[in-house]
Amino acid sequence: MRINSEKDFWAGLMFMGFGLAFMLIAIGPPAFLVELGGRAGWKIEYGYQMGTAVRMGPAYFPTLLGGLLAVLGLIVFLRSFVSKLPKAATEVRMSFNVVDLAIGIAIYAVLAWASKRVLGNADWGMMGASVVLAVLAFAFRPKAKPLVLVIASCMVFAYLLKPLGLVLSSILLVFVAALGGHEYRTKEVAILAVALAVFSVLVFVKALTLPFPIWPEFLQ
Amino acid sequence: MEMLNNLLLGFSVALSPFNILMCLVGVLLGTLIGVLPGVGPVATIAMLLPITFNLNPIGALIMLAGIYYGAQYGGSTTAILVNLPGESSSVVTCIDGYQMARRGRAGPALATAALVSFFAGCVATLIVAMFAPPLAEVALKFGPAEYFSLMVLGLVAAVVLAHGSLIKAIAMVVLGLLLGLIGTDVNSGVLRFAFGISELADGIGFVVVAMGMFGIAEIVTNLEHTGQREVFTKKVTHLWPTKEDFRRLIPAALRGTFLGAALGILPGGGALLASFGAYTLEKKVSKYAHEFGQGAIEGVAAPESANNAGAQTSFIPLLTLGIPSNAVMALMIGAMMIQGIAPGPQVMNERPQLFWGMIASMWVGNLMLVVLNLPLIGMWIKLLTVPYRLLYPSILLFMGIGVFSLSNNPFDVLIMAFFGLLGYICVKLECEPAPMILGFILGPLMEENLRRAMLLSRGDPLVFFQKPISASFLVVAIILLAIIAAPNIRKKRQEVFVEET
Repeated sequence: MRINSEKDFWAGLMFMGFGLAFMLIAIGPPAFLVELGGRAGWKIEYGYQMGTAVRMGPAYFPTLLGGLLAVLGLIVFLRSFVSKLPKAATEVRMSFNVVDLAIGIAIYAVLAWASKRVLGNADWGMMGASVVLAVLAFAFRPKAKPLVLVIASCMVFAYLLKPLGLVLSSILLVFVAALGGHEYRTKEVAILAVALAVFSVLVFVKALTLPFPIWPEFLQ
Repeated sequence: MEMLNNLLLGFSVALSPFNILMCLVGVLLGTLIGVLPGVGPVATIAMLLPITFNLNPIGALIMLAGIYYGAQYGGSTTAILVNLPGESSSVVTCIDGYQMARRGRAGPALATAALVSFFAGCVATLIVAMFAPPLAEVALKFGPAEYFSLMVLGLVAAVVLAHGSLIKAIAMVVLGLLLGLIGTDVNSGVLRFAFGISELADGIGFVVVAMGMFGIAEIVTNLEHTGQREVFTKKVTHLWPTKEDFRRLIPAALRGTFLGAALGILPGGGALLASFGAYTLEKKVSKYAHEFGQGAIEGVAAPESANNAGAQTSFIPLLTLGIPSNAVMALMIGAMMIQGIAPGPQVMNERPQLFWGMIASMWVGNLMLVVLNLPLIGMWIKLLTVPYRLLYPSILLFMGIGVFSLSNNPFDVLIMAFFGLLGYICVKLECEPAPMILGFILGPLMEENLRRAMLLSRGDPLVFFQKPISASFLVVAIILLAIIAAPNIRKKRQEVFVEET
């Protein structure tokens, strides 16, 4: 079998994955998975009540939809083998591959789990993982820089807003985001960062009274 | 007569100093983001949503509405001068508008776009005022079966609009419906698909999903394109179209307005469908069909009038049925719910000030747009020269602040990042995010109405075909699906979307 349409191949897999996952969670995973999860310290729910067509339980609609999505995904998946579209239209031009994606998710999962164990919450692990990924992207996947750095900039901003205050975290966001672009000019970015920080303090905190700290915690 | 009284009431609300200010802010912001390519009304309204917490409901909705139709004005400026759609609905304006600009007729093209938009806005306001009340009357009689079928129709219509593959679009809708179910089930109180994360108990916020799928994904794909944009910096002179221009553009604008208004009402419709439809129609009926693509003024007048009319009439399903026809309207629903207003047919009777005030404000806003925009065109052109590398960090910061302020919890930003990644992957795999967003909003509503309808019918699924209104919605949905599945239409549809990209 030759894959004629890469786009359909992956899209079909994605839809099937989502559909089956929703169905599996709604109906309840098989017993051995629950036991395995329990041993790893992760309590897996046993699924929800199905109910009847007259009185639908919480599992009814999701199971229906999940099944539908899996079938649609299967059609798209199978179609990828018979597609007659030209290669240029079906080629996936992604800046990373499936392995990269899996590694990225693994980094997030491991660091979040570790930080939950050590610090009691997953926040620092999430942020740390974004930073690690950003560094990895710089080193190995320069093409994925826009995606990784744009996401990292949002994460850094969100997790540092409370401890560092609006001014410093927005400056950080602008710098990290700017690194993801094609042209990076330190002076220009610095001016932009300061201007935006001042603007957001004036507009969001002073004028619109959003409850954000302006300066770092340890200064107050 | 009653309509006149209602409109008078509306104008008395819309013309209060505060609401005029809100309207002005809305349309200016709308024009601004319309002019800037890569910043859409969905992301902007999502960003501003948290700010409206502190406003009164009428002012907030007037401002948000202004952003949407203001963006339709702004989008044309970029389309004509840079050959880039500032807004997705001005894609077709690029074709003839840019050609006009290249022949030194940028001025008349811009003026035409503004004038026909104003004309269309006025007509569409009247149409909303005329058709919304009787529709709301009908909607009051809707039961769960009717609502369910209507939502099915809406989702099918959204699929029709999607680019590319039909099956993928349907799959995206279903995925959206499923993601919308995350959170506490209203009927049983069971926490679904939450993996023990307490932040997911209330479900995923729509704003967060929209910002991720549209905002982040858009920025990333823009950054991956290294294309340079060239602004038509030649001074724009001679704004006013000639007499000959007027003779040609008036019938085109009339056709565009009415087609746009009709397409805007359709669930799943709105400005985008309207502009495409109008351009295609004009190409068919115009005497100057051979000039299309080389700077025919009809090619500017028709889509520009249609997208503005469509933007406004797409408020009809929202105001009368409480059902969003596109992502922007879904955000408006979010805004109404934040203000404690349940969108639906009862809004008109219970809060006439809000209902008619908003309709009247649309006319006021359109007037402001045409008065302000013609003299301000110079300023908008300057804005176009701001490089994207300065623009996107600013957008990201405002998105971050907007999302964070929803619940003061970094978890929302994490979810936004996740949907940014999903959105990026979907774009790369040619799966449209727009149908997914619509499904996402309608998910819980659909489940609720399906449950109620099945309870009332004692589990008989045929109930959806036994009630006449419900049955007709479903029949229309099936016909729509059959039409696009038909081979020759499918080919045509592909051509239309290929033209766009």
